[in-house]
Amino acid sequence: MSVLARSVGNAFRNKVRTAAVVAVLAVAIGLALAMLVANQAVGAKVQELNASVGTVLTVNPAGGQGFEGGGEPLTSEQAATATAVPNVSAVVGISSLRLRNAAEAAAQAAGGQTGPGGGQGVSGGQAAATLTTSLTAAVDAGTLGNRNQAANGTTGTTATQPVRSLPITATGIGAEVDTTGKALAITEGNGLGDYNAESTNALLGTTLAEKNGLAVGSTFTINDQTYTVAGLFDAGTTFGNNAVYVTLPTAQTLAGLPGELSSMIVTVDSLEHVEAAKAALQEALGTDKADVTQGQNLETAVSSLDSVKNISYIAFIAALGTAGLIILLIMVMLVRERRREIGVLKAIGAPNRTIGLQFVLEALVLAALGSAAGAVIAAFASSGIASALISTNTTTTAAATTGRGMPGGTGFPGGGPGGPFGGASQLLTSVTASASPDVIVAGIAAVFGVATIGALVPALLTARIRPIEVLRGE
Amino acid sequence: MIEVKNLVRTFNSGDRTIKPVNDVSFELEQGTLASIVGKSGSGKSTLLSLLGALDKPTSGDVAVNGVSLASMPDAKLTQYRRRDIGFVFQQFNLIPNLSAVDNVMLPMEFAGMRKAARLQRAKELLEQVQLVPEKHDRRINRLSGGEQQRVAIARALANEPKLILADEPTGNLDEQTGDHIIELLSALCRDHNTTILVVTHDRALANKTDRRFRLQQGRLTEEPVRNRATAAAAPV
Repeated sequence: MSVLARSVGNAFRNKVRTAAVVAVLAVAIGLALAMLVANQAVGAKVQELNASVGTVLTVNPAGGQGFEGGGEPLTSEQAATATAVPNVSAVVGISSLRLRNAAEAAAQAAGGQTGPGGGQGVSGGQAAATLTTSLTAAVDAGTLGNRNQAANGTTGTTATQPVRSLPITATGIGAEVDTTGKALAITEGNGLGDYNAESTNALLGTTLAEKNGLAVGSTFTINDQTYTVAGLFDAGTTFGNNAVYVTLPTAQTLAGLPGELSSMIVTVDSLEHVEAAKAALQEALGTDKADVTQGQNLETAVSSLDSVKNISYIAFIAALGTAGLIILLIMVMLVRERRREIGVLKAIGAPNRTIGLQFVLEALVLAALGSAAGAVIAAFASSGIASALISTNTTTTAAATTGRGMPGGTGFPGGGPGGPFGGASQLLTSVTASASPDVIVAGIAAVFGVATIGALVPALLTARIRPIEVLRGE
Repeated sequence: MIEVKNLVRTFNSGDRTIKPVNDVSFELEQGTLASIVGKSGSGKSTLLSLLGALDKPTSGDVAVNGVSLASMPDAKLTQYRRRDIGFVFQQFNLIPNLSAVDNVMLPMEFAGMRKAARLQRAKELLEQVQLVPEKHDRRINRLSGGEQQRVAIARALANEPKLILADEPTGNLDEQTGDHIIELLSALCRDHNTTILVVTHDRALANKTDRRFRLQQGRLTEEPVRNRATAAAAPV
């Protein structure tokens, strides 16, 4: 019988005690693994957010008040000025439009109702142009939408209002990015192609395309002009997918406002230069002309995620240390319990290293059993624990940010998630705590490392036991 | 050859100093079968532990084939116990969760013998001490006291030691098996030139040894051994 076989046998010598030790270890190791999974998931999310929009600044017309509009529109000249600011790597102009179903708009006009309705925030600097389309919105107005439409679009009547749909967000873009500067996730088809005023290509959100039975190559109309679906994108939310993207010149032509921009997405070359570029940009454009923001919601969300990451890391270390301490204590107890047996082994010629190795291996057997059970616990619990950590840590943040549009008024909140950044809660809930094999393997390797350290102390204690122990009690 | 010179072992018990081994000196030629008799608490087991390097003497020395145990570092003493000594303990001291054959294989594993070779030798030794084959793989705690004693003797013989120290080796055996064990130990002395020192209350065993010592209040005296043919009937 080898040392390993003897160690395995010893681990199961007292089955009830072994089960109890493994159960306690499983909880500690499971918690450690769950924390590691949460840490990795949050870390990846922070990295993703920083990489995608961490260097993005948004420029809106100064004086814009979201729902109420206001301020002077941005211009192509200002975009050129922004491009010349040091450390600015890209400037993307955005023109925001709202599309209403043509048939519905006609019916409302016939019924004497006015106004855009829809409960949506309009562009801050300029009221977004309202156009008609053959498309039907994929999002129902719901109670909130209908209430807001009634408030906004109807005066002096208490008559029952017809059911309306929300407007469709149409955005003219200078590059294939969304209003946060994040690359569009095109799931089918191609991009918009040439960015000129003659382009009749459009990108549709998946739910909007599904609602209208459109696929890549299908056509639809905006203000009686036919557009071809060049591709479909997935924005990740139902509201975000109730949208159309066309080229910036096309949107400006449709709105009849050539050279005007609703907002600009400015990308800075690195995170280190964001603050300086923001100040330079604000100075170049003038505080009375433009508001430059960094996306406060995002900063707050990333800050919250960083806190969760730190908490989960500390909890991982604590749970790992607990597992090591459990192993240390149980092995010290076993060494004390088996003093005489250790004496016997020494009396018949066992070297100290053999006896020490036997105890280390026995500890590793217990750690392996605890890890197996702990991995199962982590697989089931990591998602819940991550969610609990995030919700506990970000309640205030989420409450303060959910439902707000972007400063300056480019948001289209309506009954939806509340603007381009959608609030911290949306960012946080999209953190997926999946137990990847790499993370589990790394966690279990850490557990084995700690178990080895925990077992070394009692193993070294065995070296101090003298063989004369064998005669105790004789 | 074993030379014991002025061996002393003292213990402190409160204000008192106890000397279970007090200035003991003797020599044993290789291949001698010797016995130590004495009352309970007379220091017999302490003397065995000093001879087997389980304990260190307060003063004096034990030399085996001219090599002093007092000057040996712990690692060398471990090697000495592994290669040169076989112990048979009064309470067997077998590992309870291992089988009989695994217990016998342990000293051979520590000596670096290959698994197949040690398994074969362990089974041969268990047959020599008359443990039936169907009990070879049985756990120690499922064997009777006599069977455990036989496993302990087989384990002591595992590495063909030069010196076997046995504390009441036939104490838990029936007369027939005890006789067989005595024959086995005598044969070891005769055929393998093994030195055997037994602590015993068994008159038959004590009188069958080549030399007999009596330990009384820590002091060792040698007694004449009677003719082996009539020894069994004589008082110890």
